[in-house]
Amino acid sequence: MPLPWELRRRGLKDSLRHDQRVKDAIRKNLRELIAEEAIITSDGNKKVKIPLRYLDQYRFKYGNPQSGVGQGPGQPGEVIGRQAGDGDGSGPAGDQPGELTYEVEVPLEELTQMMLEDLALPWLEEKPERQVTSETHRFTDIRRKGSLANIDKRRTLLSNIKRNAARGVPEVGDIREADLRYKVWDTQEEVHANAAVYMLMDRSGSMTTSKKYVAKSFFFWMVRFLRHKYRHVETVFIAHDVEAQVVPEQDFFALSNSGGTCCSSAYRLAYEHLQQQHPARSWNTYLFHFSDGDNWPSDNDKCKSLVDTLLQHCTMVGYGEIRYGDDASFYGWLSQTEHAPSSLQSVLRTIAHPRLLSVTISHKEELYQVLQAFLQPRESAHV
Amino acid sequence: MFEERVAAIEALAREQGLDFFLTTFEVVPQDIMTEVAAYGLPTRARHWSYGKVYQSQRLYGTMGLSKIYEIVLNNNPSLAFLLDTNTEIANLLVAAHVFGHVDFFTHNALFANTNRQMINDAVTHAQRIDGYIERYGLEMVEHLMDIGFALDRHIDCHKGLVRQPYPTRRVVEKQRPTLPYDDLFEPSGTSVTYVVEGDKFPPHAEHDLLWFLITYAPLDEWQRDVLQIIREESHYFYPQFLTKILNEGWASYWHAELFHHYRDVSPNEMIEFARLHASVVNPGGRFSINPYYLGYSILVDIEKRWDTLHAEGKSPLTGREKLFEVRRSEDDISFLRNYLTTELVQKLELFAYGAANAPRSSASSRREIVITSRERDAIVEALLRPRYNYGVPHIVVKDVVKNELYLEHVDRASSYLDRRYAKETLAYVAELWKHPVHVLTCNEQGHDVDLTAAP
Repeated sequence: MPLPWELRRRGLKDSLRHDQRVKDAIRKNLRELIAEEAIITSDGNKKVKIPLRYLDQYRFKYGNPQSGVGQGPGQPGEVIGRQAGDGDGSGPAGDQPGELTYEVEVPLEELTQMMLEDLALPWLEEKPERQVTSETHRFTDIRRKGSLANIDKRRTLLSNIKRNAARGVPEVGDIREADLRYKVWDTQEEVHANAAVYMLMDRSGSMTTSKKYVAKSFFFWMVRFLRHKYRHVETVFIAHDVEAQVVPEQDFFALSNSGGTCCSSAYRLAYEHLQQQHPARSWNTYLFHFSDGDNWPSDNDKCKSLVDTLLQHCTMVGYGEIRYGDDASFYGWLSQTEHAPSSLQSVLRTIAHPRLLSVTISHKEELYQVLQAFLQPRESAHV
Repeated sequence: MFEERVAAIEALAREQGLDFFLTTFEVVPQDIMTEVAAYGLPTRARHWSYGKVYQSQRLYGTMGLSKIYEIVLNNNPSLAFLLDTNTEIANLLVAAHVFGHVDFFTHNALFANTNRQMINDAVTHAQRIDGYIERYGLEMVEHLMDIGFALDRHIDCHKGLVRQPYPTRRVVEKQRPTLPYDDLFEPSGTSVTYVVEGDKFPPHAEHDLLWFLITYAPLDEWQRDVLQIIREESHYFYPQFLTKILNEGWASYWHAELFHHYRDVSPNEMIEFARLHASVVNPGGRFSINPYYLGYSILVDIEKRWDTLHAEGKSPLTGREKLFEVRRSEDDISFLRNYLTTELVQKLELFAYGAANAPRSSASSRREIVITSRERDAIVEALLRPRYNYGVPHIVVKDVVKNELYLEHVDRASSYLDRRYAKETLAYVAELWKHPVHVLTCNEQGHDVDLTAAP
């Protein structure tokens, strides 16, 4: 006897299914979403509202421009509106379901998972001392009591057969409470090696809002990624112009810009800090630096030697150069005229080390590629 | 009390000449109303697309942008839904309106072959689909339904739901019978010709894409069944699609007429009735005509004209009698062509509009909308354009060569396809056909192009 239709709530079920398909669609369009301002600016625990189009249903349909019948005064040839486009309602209302949008709420945690599930800290090595842990759940045992969702069908049937056989009835059937078997899980701690991540950001005058936005977006996802994937990763935030300082996380994301650029200050501070706090024998240290590359030319050699030193202590050094074609920085301006690599990047490129990764980013849409480039799971060929 | 008043209105309706299936009413909350409206049938199989409609309608409902007053199903006995938050007088108006609809379902010629047990059949459809979901998984069944819905308007309403496969190749001997004057031209006797049947596949341009694929694509039995369910329900809804203006006009005419005769209404209620009636048959916006208003206006006009003709002795039919004839024999296409007169077009201030012929190069800038015509014929055509061929481009199966399927977009002289949608839909067809599929259509400039999809 099927349920009366009042109780089925099909509409609700099917709209949840639609939501799920929308989320699958988000998953496929991560690259567009990752630089979405609404996500970056939301504070950590909240749900993120993403404006989305309803899913398309394809069919053969006309591509011809709108036409129809209206009413009221006017002479043939008179302009009465504009074609429906994005926004104002001066034309006929769009009747295509594809034009409707609605907001879907996705918990940030879930979004992070979707976006970053394939990423990992590269070359992570076992270190003798303190360990980084991450939790996993695994079904480990079978019991007679448990949650129905975790029922073990195979064992339930087996115990049913056994009980029936004991009664002399060699068949499946008459399943009782006593036959039910449930899977139970255990929380297991997966042990990883220790890791510390240093995040260095250029806050000099040439770092315009849009450039800083790219850098901050990267670090935002970096932090989300670390918190999500690894339980205990230590993070250090360093901001620099001509001088560098270690700043708390909140301040790091709210930095304004001023001053000239002297990247070596940040490298030196990072080096000193990691020697004290995160010595290489017990720590995997990762260092990421974002700048527009507009460094003092005289400082470049210092940077080179410092990065060389850092590479001996760090598991990986990542350098991201944000190069928008604007006039706010010399090299940005230069790159408009010819494709000359900027000073700092060209200097760093002279260092041939497999664990120095250097990328250029010129659109915020490229953020995902950068994350992928830096956080590709790589096995360490043991040295 | 309410039941008694509904019964009184029903008696009045029958007295006035309406003749309809037994109609039962269910008074339900807004949510159920939205749900039934989204699915089209209260018992239909599940699919995410209904959830999408439900969600957007609910959103609009809670924002107070739209309210669904009534749903009535073409079934015998008929079933109608009323909103529990409506006032009694509003629901009485809706009941009167519903009797008009059910009379229309019962007597309009287009509905003669519709399935009057669809509510029950939809339940078994849903159960079968649930069974397939259990067996083959939601993803697979859902995807197949996506494909089915993409093609569900490409059916052939004239050939009907039940069809036989094409004849297989054979030579048929056809005898021409002797005609009375044959002896004048030829020596008497019968002439025999041989005709090869089934030589070409398909033997004629096939309009029912869904039937063609169900019958000839290499599918599993359950896949055929799912597509057939979709095809069946699409056939069921076609007459309602093609009589929207006439049917709503007829129902609106009758709720007004019945309340004209119905005495048991307090003055306050009458004011509310008048207000509601005015909102039901409101003209609509500058860019769209409310179909209730258009149908209602044409019917009122017909009644007036035929009453005059009858009084002058030029028509045997009175206005009312003429209306019943229209209700029986017209669909929206013939209704508008036959009865939307030049005078009425002027009175309603109708015009046809379209995009201005701006240069096509600036694709990003939105084109201007201009009034294209105030001619009656152009306006009728513009009203009918979205109603031809179930509202979709006319696409037929033309040929099968080396297992590859050739479709043709027949009305490409006057229209072109949305390219992105066409490609996705063609990929769906290829998925069922399991060999490459082509469609002959045209581009924006009107030149023939061939789109292809491979499975």
